Amino acid sequence: MKKNKARLAKVIMHLFLICLLIVTITPFAYIIMIAFGKNIVGTSATIPKEFTLQNFQRLFTETKFIHWLGNSLIISLFTMVVATLFVSITVYVFSRLRFRGQGKLFQFILLIQIFPLTLSMVSIFRIFVTLGILNDLKGLIIVNSTISSAGLVLLAKGYFDTIPYEIDEAAMMDGATKFQTLVKVILPLAKPMLAVVAIQSFVIAYNEYAIASTVMTQGLDTMPLAVGLQSMITGQYGTNWSLYCAAALLGSVPMILLFYSLQKYFIGGLTEGSVKF
Amino acid sequence: MKKCCLFLITLILTCSLSWVATSKVQAADADVIRIWFSQYEAENAALQTIADRYFSETGKEVEVIPRINVFNAVNDLVNNATLSERPDIVFMQAPDIGRLVASGYLESLTDKIDDELRSRFVDVAFSAFRLNGEIYGIGYSVDTSGLLYNKDIISEAELPKTWEEFFALAETKTVMDGDKISVHGTLLNSRDMWFTYPLIKTYGGYYYGTYPNGEYNPYDVGLDNEGMLDYIAQIKDAQNKGLVLTNKIHGESEIVSRFANNQVGMILYGLWYASTFQQKGINYGIASLPDSKDGTISRALTTVQGFVMNQFSLHKEDSWDFLKYMLEDENQQLLIEAGNEYERKLGTRNPASLAVIESDYIQSSAILSSLSELSSECEPFPNIPEGPIWYNYTTTVFQAIFFGDQSGECDAEIKLAELADKIRDDVRLMNYHADQIELPSWVIPAIIGGLLVLLIGFFLWKRAKNRNKPRYLRLPSWKETLIAWGLMTPLLILLLVFYVYPIIHNFYLSLTDYSGINLRDYGLIGFSNYKDVFVAGLDGLISMVIWTITFAVAVVTVSFVLGTLLSTLLQKAGMRIARIYRIVFILPWVIPTVITLLMWQGLLETENGLVNQILGVIGIPNIPWLSHPVVAKLSTILVMTWFSFPYFMVIASGLLQAIPKDYYDAAKVDGASSAYIFFSITLPLVFKALIPTLIMSFIMQFNQFGVYILTAGGPAADKIGAPGSTDLLITYVFNTAFNTNRYAVAATYSVLIFVFVALFAVVSMRITRKVAES
Repeated sequence: MKKNKARLAKVIMHLFLICLLIVTITPFAYIIMIAFGKNIVGTSATIPKEFTLQNFQRLFTETKFIHWLGNSLIISLFTMVVATLFVSITVYVFSRLRFRGQGKLFQFILLIQIFPLTLSMVSIFRIFVTLGILNDLKGLIIVNSTISSAGLVLLAKGYFDTIPYEIDEAAMMDGATKFQTLVKVILPLAKPMLAVVAIQSFVIAYNEYAIASTVMTQGLDTMPLAVGLQSMITGQYGTNWSLYCAAALLGSVPMILLFYSLQKYFIGGLTEGSVKF
Repeated sequence: MKKCCLFLITLILTCSLSWVATSKVQAADADVIRIWFSQYEAENAALQTIADRYFSETGKEVEVIPRINVFNAVNDLVNNATLSERPDIVFMQAPDIGRLVASGYLESLTDKIDDELRSRFVDVAFSAFRLNGEIYGIGYSVDTSGLLYNKDIISEAELPKTWEEFFALAETKTVMDGDKISVHGTLLNSRDMWFTYPLIKTYGGYYYGTYPNGEYNPYDVGLDNEGMLDYIAQIKDAQNKGLVLTNKIHGESEIVSRFANNQVGMILYGLWYASTFQQKGINYGIASLPDSKDGTISRALTTVQGFVMNQFSLHKEDSWDFLKYMLEDENQQLLIEAGNEYERKLGTRNPASLAVIESDYIQSSAILSSLSELSSECEPFPNIPEGPIWYNYTTTVFQAIFFGDQSGECDAEIKLAELADKIRDDVRLMNYHADQIELPSWVIPAIIGGLLVLLIGFFLWKRAKNRNKPRYLRLPSWKETLIAWGLMTPLLILLLVFYVYPIIHNFYLSLTDYSGINLRDYGLIGFSNYKDVFVAGLDGLISMVIWTITFAVAVVTVSFVLGTLLSTLLQKAGMRIARIYRIVFILPWVIPTVITLLMWQGLLETENGLVNQILGVIGIPNIPWLSHPVVAKLSTILVMTWFSFPYFMVIASGLLQAIPKDYYDAAKVDGASSAYIFFSITLPLVFKALIPTLIMSFIMQFNQFGVYILTAGGPAADKIGAPGSTDLLITYVFNTAFNTNRYAVAATYSVLIFVFVALFAVVSMRITRKVAES
């Protein structure tokens, strides 16, 4: 009886998951269909009749896709490293030190982000001019690192706070310095959250469009992928849906790979090893 | 671990060092003429060849800079016009010059253009760039349209001479297959008036009238006259005969794809999809539009693209010299051939140069030559700054007239009158100018001094308050404070630069008269923008704010709960299968949002959308996902949840590991059900750890721009310009401000929204903290 009930629960769970799976995958399947479809004019068109690899071929021959992808990867990887570093330090400070202005500063970091940065491109452009980082991937790395760090500090603090302070005390009792405690004890315990921080900062940098399209104006080779993609959708002579979908599809591969390779850090579950007390 | 860390640091250092070393030195070469040109590689290469030849002839260097598209030219020129790497010559669309001219970014070419140059180009090459009696550019390509017809359905001899013949022919060429139409004589888009504008003009309607000197008068709007009513009667008649799109979601792309499948005889369109037609083997041609009733020719709305010169160019003489060189017949020939991809002859560039028009390259192709004939009978889209205003609302109004609005059928006459009034109002708003104020020199030091005094006073007060507290409640030590702030300095500086400065700068802009037609000489006007915003108010502000908050709360709550639930379930589902599930579930997160939003738009279409087709199989009637005011709200929430649940799933997966196993064991011993454990242990614990993130997500959803891509704010409200059912606060106010180019008003709105959301966030932080503590 109990076994049956458990089995029923399992079936319901899988049914639920499969339903969600279908909902998630349908738009994606549509993108694949259009990417491989021939002569597609609009998105409302039904299933294409002919399939072709031509769109992918055109991506490499007629556009600067490889350059765009390369630029985006450089920006995103650097952003990922810098942001993870910033977030680790800041969150350690917030979670493990007691200092004046702590609460106010944390609130400040949250509140300034209410202002949508994408709406003040005039200001952003001025900053880039003043700092001399116009038309430079460096500039995009700096601004993306800032945006990611600001957002992800809030996320990571919640996680760091769940790591009991007793662990620090134990380490320090064993003679570890504060730095050693952070590097050897706290950061390893925070691996799941650091993995999330890494992925999300990568995704933010990879998909950032508004700033990149404003500050990168000299030539097609310098654009990141998000800007390149957008140029296909707002093409001068109508939208090139197939090309756009093909690019979007190939462009999402790095992120899927990254997610796949980092997923072991934040998954593994209760059975493998949670925070020990 | 230490090794790993050291390795990482060295890696970063080496990478950044090598990168700094290799990054190009930004020494602006003062003697180089810079030209912003095309998005097409072949065309840029051709111009580079010309530039190289010019260099060998004159010794002057020209740099050709490829552009991502021609639409960014205005904003980028405004940004870059006075920098060291400023462009000298810019390729742009004639309708875009209005704002640039108003703010003084363009060099007038009137005196430079001589009769010889004039005689080598079609008239519209100059007239499209004429504004306030001056000529600011020279056309290169005339992007026009005409009567595109399928030669297998309509022969050249049958082509209609007048609009009456056009409709008569369309009727006879329509083929029925059962009760479905298999071939349409023609297909018109009744919602959009770009391509039907020549027809509208035949009936006497027009967007802007002209002054006797030929300049546009934007206060004279001719969209509510009797001619327009005749036009509407004509389109309604055509609608009954199956000559008009029947689905209000469909647009030009639907017409084109039907044409590309041999299902339409003739359409009002250009050659933008010529390559698709060629690939599909369509036997097509392009001809002049039918003449109007009184025998005058019909002129299609046209965008002329050409070259303008930067007012701030450091070598105007040399730039003009090169521009003239480029405009020579043989060079135009080279560019146009490259722009049309040589033998593919796509028709993407329709030459303005007469010599090129007469060349073998154009004349040997029936299509290109007939397209080039159209350039003498076209009407350039108005290039005054008010140019695009009339086009902002026409789609909504024509949709209401031909498909009904939220309250059903509506009266065309009333709607049109409302439309014309709205356009005139917007023109007035755009040209409204508050007086700049002169600040006495002591004001700014006084404000700064006052702020300082306040700050110091606040600190002293805090200190005094602190003294009375018992020792253990006192503030943390200075030493730790110093370490903490020291460690965070780099990030804090970045935050000040990239977040705080824009906020302050925006506040400053909100006190000025900065606008699309006043981009350079703006100055302080005091709080009059704030006054205007409050006096004008917003139609339906309250309901829009309620909807925005509901939307943001709903999306965050649902995706948070769903994400946490999924991560819990996936932990139970067994390792291997869970991995597959996870990879699929993160897809919404990693695929570019714009593309998936547009896919959703297609999927949720009422009549042909996949979702309704699937539901139809089970017997559920069509659901108006995006076209019913209330259902559209629900769909919006669902779609945006679809985007954000993966993020929460991943975060929750990480957090679940931090939950001590004993909590679960204890609950299990007590015999609690899985559902109970989830709702009373997992969810609250995850929630507590995520409070700041949840508040942040709420803010993100509050300022969500994705909804606009999905629904464009629609279904539209009955009143023109009022917020639609799914218009969020931020997108709506920005659209209203940007439609009339009032950037300072946009800044005012963003400051007000910032204050509003900040208060909301502070309050909700207090509340959630209390809830979490209890």
